[in-house]
Amino acid sequence: MAQNIVAGVFCCIGTFFFLLGTTGLVRMPDVFTRLHPSTKCDTLGACSVIIGMAVYSGWSWDLLKLVLIACFVLLSSATCGHAIGRSALKRDIAYWRKDRKEVEDGHGA
Amino acid sequence: MDDFLTVIALIISLNAVICLYRAVIGPTTQDRLLGVNIVGTKTLVVVILITFIQAESFFLDVAIVYALLLFVVTVAVSRYLEAEGWEEMK
Amino acid sequence: MSGGYAFSKKLLLCILLFAFWVALTATLALYDLVLGAICSAFVAVITVSLLGRALDPRITPMVLLRLPVFMVRLVWEIIKANYDVAKIILNPRLPIDPRIVEYRTYLAGDLPRTVFSDSITLTPGTVTVDLEEDLLKVHCLCPYHEEGLSGLEEMVAWLFGEKRHG
Repeated sequence: MAQNIVAGVFCCIGTFFFLLGTTGLVRMPDVFTRLHPSTKCDTLGACSVIIGMAVYSGWSWDLLKLVLIACFVLLSSATCGHAIGRSALKRDIAYWRKDRKEVEDGHGA
Repeated sequence: MDDFLTVIALIISLNAVICLYRAVIGPTTQDRLLGVNIVGTKTLVVVILITFIQAESFFLDVAIVYALLLFVVTVAVSRYLEAEGWEEMK
Repeated sequence: MSGGYAFSKKLLLCILLFAFWVALTATLALYDLVLGAICSAFVAVITVSLLGRALDPRITPMVLLRLPVFMVRLVWEIIKANYDVAKIILNPRLPIDPRIVEYRTYLAGDLPRTVFSDSITLTPGTVTVDLEEDLLKVHCLCPYHEEGLSGLEEMVAWLFGEKRHG
């Protein structure tokens, strides 16, 4: 029973971070800033759900596979964020600056 | 517990639908790729949850292959976008 | 490459492949274990003779022993990073001031640099967007996030047993 409660808490934490990552993805102004919520929150969200499922499954072979998947997720989300950022940089996509927006607002006023 | 896991999986699926919004309207191609990558991560987690809802451990092998494929797809497409003369090729 | 060195590399690769095999087959039956041992030894020998090297020469047993400690510290950094990003995202005014800073690392070799840039991506407010030789371009969400980089570099240097020089 305690096992189920711990697994449920980890799942709730993971879902919260997924929600946070989605919010960041929709709210952020350009592709570089969108990389931050997507790489961090998604990694922690996926890892928390995986840890919760590992607690739920107990000592079995599933545990080993879940640890393997967690390692893949940690490695791949960082590398994917780096690859997307690099391709955006190579395509000369201008990144969002705070002061430039203020200047534009000044012109608009 | 199964009902609880089903609710969690449903919430994560709804999240994935919201991420598709970014993949559809994203101003640059990199935005779309990022959206697709995130939808993939969420799908991976839903597959893991389905493993324990259905109590079928072979879904975990599917999840491992899915994680590797997602990684390869994102890196390959971003390397492709990085290449010179991409605008001419499309 | 001397004979004993190549043999120890092959053995390390073989053990890693065998551990992966056992995790995937999820059984301890004798038939599967023998088949896995034969396959991983075969793959290790073929990899060394085809590519000239088995693993990056920096992957030594010491690094593999230090890796769990490094992972625990990295996970702590990730949790701090998420707390930080959560505060920024949930703030209605979205207080970000992004900039791309250039950082010159003293780590030598491809593997430590790759580990360093991956760790940067997973820690508060920083994403590595480019890596050329020893020059990293790091996208920072807020200016104060830049300060965490050197501590992280020390961590990676400790993992690979490197000393700062120059």
